[in-house]
Amino acid sequence: MSSPAPAVASPVPPKSAAPLLETEIPLVNGPAVPYVEIETLRAREFIPQAKEALSSLLREQMEGKLLRPVFNWAGRNSLFPLHWGLACCAIEFAAAFGARWDAERFGVVPRSSPRQCDLLIVNGTVTWKVAHKLITLYEQMPEPKWVIAMGNCATGGGPFRTAYSVVPGVDKLVPVDIYIAGCPPRPEALLDGILQLEELIRRRGE
Amino acid sequence: MATDDLATQLAPRAGANILAVEPFQGLTARVRFRPEGALDVFRAVHDDLGYDHLSMVGAIDWVDHREVFYIVWSDVTKQYLGLSADLTGDAPHIESATPVWPSANWHEREAWELVGVAFDHHPDMRHLLMPDDYAFHPLLRSFKLHEPEELEVKSRSV
Amino acid sequence: MWVNMGPQHPMTHGLWNLRVKIDGELIVDVDPEVGYLHRGIEKISEDRHYNEIITLMDRCCYVAGIAWEHVYIGAAENALHITAPERAQWLRVMCDELQRLASHIMWYAAFVQDLGLMSPFLYGMRDRDLILDLFQSFTGGRLTYEYNRVGGVRNDVPSGFTDRCRKVMDWLMDRFVEYDRLCLGSEIFRRRCDGLGVLKAKECVDLGVTGPMLRSAGVARDLRKDRPYAVYDRVEFDVAKADAADVTARYLVRMEEMRQSVRIVRQTLDWLDHHPGPVLADHLPRWLGAPYAPMGNEGYLLKRNFPRGTGFAAVEEPHGEAQAYVVNTGGEHPYRTKFRSPVFVNLSAAKHYMIGYRVADIPPIMGSVDICVGEVDR
Repeated sequence: MSSPAPAVASPVPPKSAAPLLETEIPLVNGPAVPYVEIETLRAREFIPQAKEALSSLLREQMEGKLLRPVFNWAGRNSLFPLHWGLACCAIEFAAAFGARWDAERFGVVPRSSPRQCDLLIVNGTVTWKVAHKLITLYEQMPEPKWVIAMGNCATGGGPFRTAYSVVPGVDKLVPVDIYIAGCPPRPEALLDGILQLEELIRRRGE
Repeated sequence: MATDDLATQLAPRAGANILAVEPFQGLTARVRFRPEGALDVFRAVHDDLGYDHLSMVGAIDWVDHREVFYIVWSDVTKQYLGLSADLTGDAPHIESATPVWPSANWHEREAWELVGVAFDHHPDMRHLLMPDDYAFHPLLRSFKLHEPEELEVKSRSV
Repeated sequence: MWVNMGPQHPMTHGLWNLRVKIDGELIVDVDPEVGYLHRGIEKISEDRHYNEIITLMDRCCYVAGIAWEHVYIGAAENALHITAPERAQWLRVMCDELQRLASHIMWYAAFVQDLGLMSPFLYGMRDRDLILDLFQSFTGGRLTYEYNRVGGVRNDVPSGFTDRCRKVMDWLMDRFVEYDRLCLGSEIFRRRCDGLGVLKAKECVDLGVTGPMLRSAGVARDLRKDRPYAVYDRVEFDVAKADAADVTARYLVRMEEMRQSVRIVRQTLDWLDHHPGPVLADHLPRWLGAPYAPMGNEGYLLKRNFPRGTGFAAVEEPHGEAQAYVVNTGGEHPYRTKFRSPVFVNLSAAKHYMIGYRVADIPPIMGSVDICVGEVDR
């Protein structure tokens, strides 16, 4: 086009003006095409766009972006740790579920089967003899799952770091989300670790 | 002297195998005996002296030789008695105490595993504390502890 | 058929594996598998100073840390020829008995929960926290105290401690009545515990079983009476005993022991009120980490000239007789330490008190042994 169309002239003519097939409509950025072709063009564009939108919606849902906040909210308020006492920290772990600290008010309920759990609290020293059993238990837990290394032994071997039979930190075996310092950590520290894990889960996927 | 009494009481059945009866901090006395006559000494201590309760079996690596020690308790005299034997040679071994004191079973398994002292005629000699394929005796003096090597850390991106 | 119960099983209360051979519901053979928590405490001790090993002792048995400190300290003081002052001995006795209360209450909470009664767990943990608060007020820790030192204890109890402790003891004596009513009055408890896990006195002695398991078989053997250490010959108490040798008998023995512990604690508090004094021996060599030791080279001179020796000590720990054997060859570190754990021996006898019972009887029987895996594996 040599000159832009006057502002008063509508690019789309009224339907009654002329037979549709003969009408030529100037397109903004392309050659003039018949009106019907524009309709088909729009339809042709719409289908992939709709496909794109739908599939991205599906993909988001697959990835959990759409309903992820809902899942995160539900998941972080009902963390089920595995009922497994390794060493000293297991006593403080038990104390956290006692009358004074009552961890169950945060929705934390220990379960005995790894298949019902989404949280592995490694509460004690991990030795090489138990290492592959710990990995088996971790792999039996359904996704999504989290790991808390409770105490110095699980974090880095603690006072037994140099011993011949001790794994120097459980992060050599399974991915760890939260480390809690202390030997053993007090029940308050465990509760704080669980709350920090909840914060981590809330921000998941952002 | 308690040590003299002990020596005379042990003499009829195990006199030839007793090397010394010496005072010991925290115990009534300690009886040093020849490892060859171990079972005779155990029987004499158990039957004649009435030490019917075996508390502990342990072994020490003194680099040039190894020592096995036993702590036994008598309910009659309310006393602890120590027994000890020095084992020499490349493959130190001593007769198992399980026929006399059945409770020696796990103690001897542990002593073999950690210090490498063999117990002959032990009913069930297997690894106790370490995995079955563990090839070392960690409580030997030649076994040194060191800082763990750097291992790969598994991290997760949230 | 062999069945593994553990290392992750709600029955185990720790990290061990009970391999059971069953024929239908009947237990034909058992094979306890331990070592999952073997941390090499005896080996690490070879590289540590005498006072640094106390840290390991707390972690060795995590429900009876201060009793295990006493075991080690007794042997180390014997090996180094050091004697603790009188007030430190009384404080150690008080700590031992408070720890026995805490340990037995922890056992009660965990054991009865296994039988299907939930409220004893909550009651037990509530009362145990009161004892741990007392510990915290003078040691600073809840589970791991590092309170004993070679030659005494680290610090004295704060002012007002004895009155607070007496209040807790009075509270506990009332709670024991409640505990008994919850358990002995419960039909579930009696049906699951009576006549199970019987181990008679002769077998107990042969197998080396000690502690409440032995006393429940009618043998009134208690190192605190038979071979008094510290100041146990100066306090009055009775040795708890039962005859049935089954799970209920072990429950009764532990309950009676708690009452006797309260009695001993009250006597120690009376003594502590009226006899102030030092709690750490004078003239300790500097390399033992004593706060007021002479500065300069004196400490090293003392180290060179320190007598060698081997020490042995035995203590009636909440689980049974614990013993330590410390070899001192004149260095800063012990040459060899060896610890005898009562639970190690009690567990090794499992074959003799489990065969012939049913699979459902395993939690009450193993619960009544009161297993602490830290001291089994060390």
